[in-house]
Amino acid sequence: MAEHRPDRNEDRHEFSEEQASLFRITFGPLIWALHFLACYGLVAVACAKGADIAMVRILLLLGSVVALGGIGWVGYGAFRQWNVVETGDFVHRRGHAEDRHHFLGHAAFLLSIISAIGVIFVSLPLVMIGGCQ
Amino acid sequence: MLAGAVVLWLFVNGAFYFMSRIRPGRFDQTYAPHILIGGGIILPVVILSALLVWGLGILTDPRRPGDGLVVRVTGEQWWWRVEYWPEGATEPIISANEIRLPAGQRAEIHLTSDKVIHSFWIPALGGKMDMFPGRDTMISLAPEKVGTYRGQCAEFCGASHAWMAFSAVVMEPEAFDSWLEAEAEDAVEPAGDAALRGRQVFLSEGCGACHAVRGTEAVGQVGPDLTHVGSRQTLGAGRMALTLEDLTTWISHSEALKPEVKMPAYDLAPDRLDDLARYLEGLK
Repeated sequence: MAEHRPDRNEDRHEFSEEQASLFRITFGPLIWALHFLACYGLVAVACAKGADIAMVRILLLLGSVVALGGIGWVGYGAFRQWNVVETGDFVHRRGHAEDRHHFLGHAAFLLSIISAIGVIFVSLPLVMIGGCQ
Repeated sequence: MLAGAVVLWLFVNGAFYFMSRIRPGRFDQTYAPHILIGGGIILPVVILSALLVWGLGILTDPRRPGDGLVVRVTGEQWWWRVEYWPEGATEPIISANEIRLPAGQRAEIHLTSDKVIHSFWIPALGGKMDMFPGRDTMISLAPEKVGTYRGQCAEFCGASHAWMAFSAVVMEPEAFDSWLEAEAEDAVEPAGDAALRGRQVFLSEGCGACHAVRGTEAVGQVGPDLTHVGSRQTLGAGRMALTLEDLTTWISHSEALKPEVKMPAYDLAPDRLDDLARYLEGLK
């Protein structure tokens, strides 16, 4: 059996792929942060300037739906990258490239769950209060 | 709240008892993910969500419009200027250092401040609300039980901040209405020679430059309105009780009792001081 001869570019490929998924784990929290900023900023300005809060509310609730959709999409991608259904690996104990790849998917998946919870919590006042009281 | 605390206490202590007495020693590591995910993620999310929904449900209560009565309170250093605006009133009924509210009705408390930020707080009736110079804030309170509650300035506002308190008296609505009617009246005539002499002392010592007693020449606006000071429960904005003894102590030692207060301590002859206290105590 031929010995596996390392390709010169193999490491670089692996690294650039991990770099991409390293970015990807920030997408969930990033959407959450943008949604948070939009909600607090728009409501504060609308209430201070006496703008139509009902309109702003609808706009932001639509934004919440879009944000949740985006986080869901990121989370789904991350879940597939984690590949837990096939491997059943929750721990990523070995330090191989594949483990790192799965680990980053796992982390991104958990982060997108907490981001979704964050978006829901920030949206609740829009649903339950819905005014400038 | 108490029930939640009891459950939490039982859980924490129960877990401790289980770990130390029932099953001491190391646990199987297979439990770890369940404990972490169940106790560290799912349980807090459920509890926090429930608390958030409940909290948001009651968040706007203190901003709900009132049933008619508006009380305007201005924070001063270190006392409370109080105006009652019953529904349809065109001019306020002036009072100070005590808030009276009818039970079973929601009253709007409109707040502002003279020079520095204060905070209006009657812990038994509701949350705090800051009072800003040049800005109006509002908190509406719906007291249910008749009684006297302590109010306190909750934002550091200078040397005597801790002595800036007041009584909040919740009354039956009928009793409140007749009290408010009486509060709108001018001061009663002094009863007895001592009180009559006391009024003379009050006017000749210049008390009226800062204090108003409606129906007399005293129209000062610097300090609290004293028209019905004798009917209040406390003296010096919650500093002392409203008794003859405390009145004489306050007038002769105001600066010691309330550091940096504007009112100077008066060095009066004992009989004049006593007369003055009798006059003020009689202003029911």
